[in-house]
Amino acid sequence: MTATAISSPVTLTPAARTARRTRFLHWVGVHSLAIAAALFFVLPFVFIFLTALMSDQQALTRDLWPDSWHWENLRTVWETPGFLTWWKNTLLYAGLGTALTLLSSIPVAYALARFKFRGRNVVLMLVIATMMLPPQVVIVPMYLFWAKQLHLSGTLWPLIIPMAFTDAFSVFLLRQFLLTIPKDYVDAAKVDGCGEFKALVRIVLPMAKPAIAAVALFQFFYCWNDYFGPQIYASENPAAWTLSYGLESFKGAHHTNWNLTMAATLLVMAPVIILFFFAQKAFIEGVTLTGVKG
Amino acid sequence: MPSFTRAVIGTAAVALLATACTGTSSTPQANDDATKDVNLTFWHGWSAPSEAAAIDANVKAFEAKHPNIHVKVVGNINDDKIKQALRAGGANAPDVVSSFTTDNVGTFCASNVFSDLKPFLDKSGIDLDKTFPKPLQDYTQFQGKRCTLPLLNDAYGLYYNKTAFKAAGITAPPKTLSEFDAVAKKLTKVKGDTYSQLGFMPNFHGYESTTTHFAALWNPTYFTPDGKSNLAKDPAFASMLTWQKGLVGQLGGFAKLEKYRATFGDEFGAKNPFHTGQVAMTMDGEWRLGMAREAGVKFDIGVAPFPVPDDQADSYGKGYLSGTVIGIAGTSQKQNAAWELVKFMTTDTDAVVSFANAIHNVPSTLDAIKSPKLTADENFKTFLGIAQHEKSNTTPASPNGGAYQLTLQDFGYAYEAGKVTDLAAGLAKTDEQIDKDLAQAK
Amino acid sequence: MTTLRQKHRRETARTLAFLSPWLIGVSVFFLYPLVSTVYFSFMKYDGFTPPTWTGLKNWQYVFTDYPFFWPALRNTLWLVVVMVTLRVLFGLGIGLLITKVKTGAGFFRTAFYLPYLAPPVAATMAFAFLLNPGTGPVNNILGSIGLPQPGWFNDPSWSKPALTMLALWGIGDLMVIFMASLLDVPQEQYEAASLDGAGAWQRFRFVTLPNISPIVLFAVVTGVIQTMQYYTQPLVAGKVASGVIGGAGQQFEPGYPEKSTLTLPQLVYHLGFQRFDTGGASVIALVLFALAMVFTVFLMRSMTERSAA
Repeated sequence: MTATAISSPVTLTPAARTARRTRFLHWVGVHSLAIAAALFFVLPFVFIFLTALMSDQQALTRDLWPDSWHWENLRTVWETPGFLTWWKNTLLYAGLGTALTLLSSIPVAYALARFKFRGRNVVLMLVIATMMLPPQVVIVPMYLFWAKQLHLSGTLWPLIIPMAFTDAFSVFLLRQFLLTIPKDYVDAAKVDGCGEFKALVRIVLPMAKPAIAAVALFQFFYCWNDYFGPQIYASENPAAWTLSYGLESFKGAHHTNWNLTMAATLLVMAPVIILFFFAQKAFIEGVTLTGVKG
Repeated sequence: MPSFTRAVIGTAAVALLATACTGTSSTPQANDDATKDVNLTFWHGWSAPSEAAAIDANVKAFEAKHPNIHVKVVGNINDDKIKQALRAGGANAPDVVSSFTTDNVGTFCASNVFSDLKPFLDKSGIDLDKTFPKPLQDYTQFQGKRCTLPLLNDAYGLYYNKTAFKAAGITAPPKTLSEFDAVAKKLTKVKGDTYSQLGFMPNFHGYESTTTHFAALWNPTYFTPDGKSNLAKDPAFASMLTWQKGLVGQLGGFAKLEKYRATFGDEFGAKNPFHTGQVAMTMDGEWRLGMAREAGVKFDIGVAPFPVPDDQADSYGKGYLSGTVIGIAGTSQKQNAAWELVKFMTTDTDAVVSFANAIHNVPSTLDAIKSPKLTADENFKTFLGIAQHEKSNTTPASPNGGAYQLTLQDFGYAYEAGKVTDLAAGLAKTDEQIDKDLAQAK
Repeated sequence: MTTLRQKHRRETARTLAFLSPWLIGVSVFFLYPLVSTVYFSFMKYDGFTPPTWTGLKNWQYVFTDYPFFWPALRNTLWLVVVMVTLRVLFGLGIGLLITKVKTGAGFFRTAFYLPYLAPPVAATMAFAFLLNPGTGPVNNILGSIGLPQPGWFNDPSWSKPALTMLALWGIGDLMVIFMASLLDVPQEQYEAASLDGAGAWQRFRFVTLPNISPIVLFAVVTGVIQTMQYYTQPLVAGKVASGVIGGAGQQFEPGYPEKSTLTLPQLVYHLGFQRFDTGGASVIALVLFALAMVFTVFLMRSMTERSAA
């Protein structure tokens, strides 16, 4: 960016010319790599999309491009018995689950970030430990508990109810963020006569909006994507299936109709992707929060 | 929404409950009145739209005969779900359940998941020997306890491509395995390092060419009378594995065949390798006839019993049998009404015949096999013959379901791939593994 | 006037009130089932008949006789060594790339990030289709340019590489974390290094790497923990590739093909929910618990070191 290079482009010094060429080559190199990488990330979506719109016959061939566009495949999938139920169940699970998680986790995260009490480190360690725990570790007794004691198998309640009692990852994430809010703000509010709870609601929550949005998104996605939970608790009752679980059985019922399977896949992916475009910022901030602010 | 109420109670109970769970299962009494208005839930495994429609039609016919019994039909349910739901019981659990495999009959009967049907059979005066073929009676009970009945039957035979046979100058389907090997070789056309046509895919992953399906040709005994695995002692298994490996070698070797297998389309799809002509012969069940028709296969399909070992040539005509089974959930509070549905579906000749016709399966009662209403062309009659052959056989039930079959299949993969060379030692080790798994299940 | 003790008591009550959802949650959904799992690991229980004491039988069965245990552990080791390493390297590479891209940065960032969001079942099914040996587009393309066409999810030696590709596709989370940490590296340090005549590689080696090494460690440890939980992708891939899915009549061969995709969480399901073996499943669950805890302690150590530094 030398001044000479801009004012008199004709009389470039050899050194400036080399620098410019290096910069150009660098640009070309970086962007070719980026395009190659983009192909790796995008092409699967393209193939899913193209196959979803092929005819039954063509989807079994090695063709990559549809001869004719079968948009009705999407409709066929949508009208498959059960598909709408899976949607509703998934929304219920993800929606209610997210709401309950926020309600229960925010106070806990606040206490962990703000209060000094004996055993705080033990609590924090337990939160991290449960966060890292594969759900399979406790599934055997949990299943017996829900199925045999409470007779709630065949529903999604065994997945939703626990979220009313906090989710470790959400607590951890919120606490990490709440630590960054200066203590003075809250203290000022308390001087004004606010109780701890009021201070949380009036002062802290508005400031923690980005973290809350991130936690909500993560939890929503977790529920939306969950396969193991519905497999354990809902599999025996098709009326309680979610999209992730139903999608697999859809493939089972349409053994070879890759076009319909891919159309269904597309319809399961679509909401998450659309949500991403609306909430891109919250997302990226959330991911960053998990890793960087440790 | 009753489950919501329960959810609320559950939430409250969560805080209080921390005792160990112990399940007690008292056998429900069959004291419901099957003439009163009652709702049944019936689970089955069929998922293809045409099959689901056929079963719905069958259930409609039942409801017409029993206007007081209303059946809620739930399809596409596999055995894992059945086991889980019956373990939990509760409002969503089914009353009548059918399973695609006979593998779990042992589990179902031994653990009382399914009700004992003997009292019902006695009450309705059904003589099993006059109703069902012998092998079907066998695979629906476990150690003398009858907890399921056969609902249609599958018989396995040899499918061959008549056009390919003609081109190779073969006039009749092979009857012994040595004839079969020769024919398979003759039909194989090598192209470079792959094939333009393969006579037969012998690899154990080649869809229906599994260890258990092949072994049936030797009438094997899987378990000793005291319930121990018998693979090493019964020469049937060593003979089967030796024959299969020999054929693999003759056709070009395991690796080459595996590479070719990777180009096959899905088993239950239009691009099944037999449909496309990639293989000229295949071992498959009777349903393949209907599937091939629907896929619009261009060549003439020939069907015959699968060839038998040379030293057992007199048993030609037999084959591996399997089938769908149906039973009553032990947890059902509507045992008598459930029995009405089971009785109708398994023993009513018209019901069995029309269902068999609709989904191209072999009927499961003696009367239905002879019924004039059964639509059976020459090819299908071959399967009716296999189903009734006295030497036809199936894999026995065991307390841990089909686990032993998977273990044997595993050994088959290792042996065909050349990872294991000592056959006798390998089979003995497989026996050990099966026995250990059985001991853990007991 | 409130005494100090009264104040203390009030604060304790307040803390307890705030923590109450967690206290209930952790007792009922973590501590109770954990104790119960230990209890069941010594019992024979099939879900129907009351449990009976069997001592160490379940433990012995899992460690010496259960044919899936060691293959699952070996697979986990493979995944830790290969998949986690590649994910960290690839994530770092993509993160570096995205910080260098000048034109169309928004597009590239979105494109790289999006696959991370694809629901695992859907993504796995899509890959099973893409990598279908007979008719899938990938082998189709490989074939047309004369490259070998692997059996992917149908070949025991290619199934884990195929899963690795699926994992690399969903690299979005690591990319963002690395991107953020790379942007945090003080610019002056690069400038100073350049003045000292350091080349691109040396700048990366002596400036970038030391600055982001805590993040690399974080990525490795969380990657290992994720591998302990690896369940949906290998299971769905095996089911789709074997064609045994949903209501089909054959039994699914766990870890298809040839146990190559078995992981420990799948064994909990196999023993506990397919074989009715509550005791055996509990043993696997405890092994899984122990492994997860080892790495969690590791993670907590590294995090406290970071915040201390």
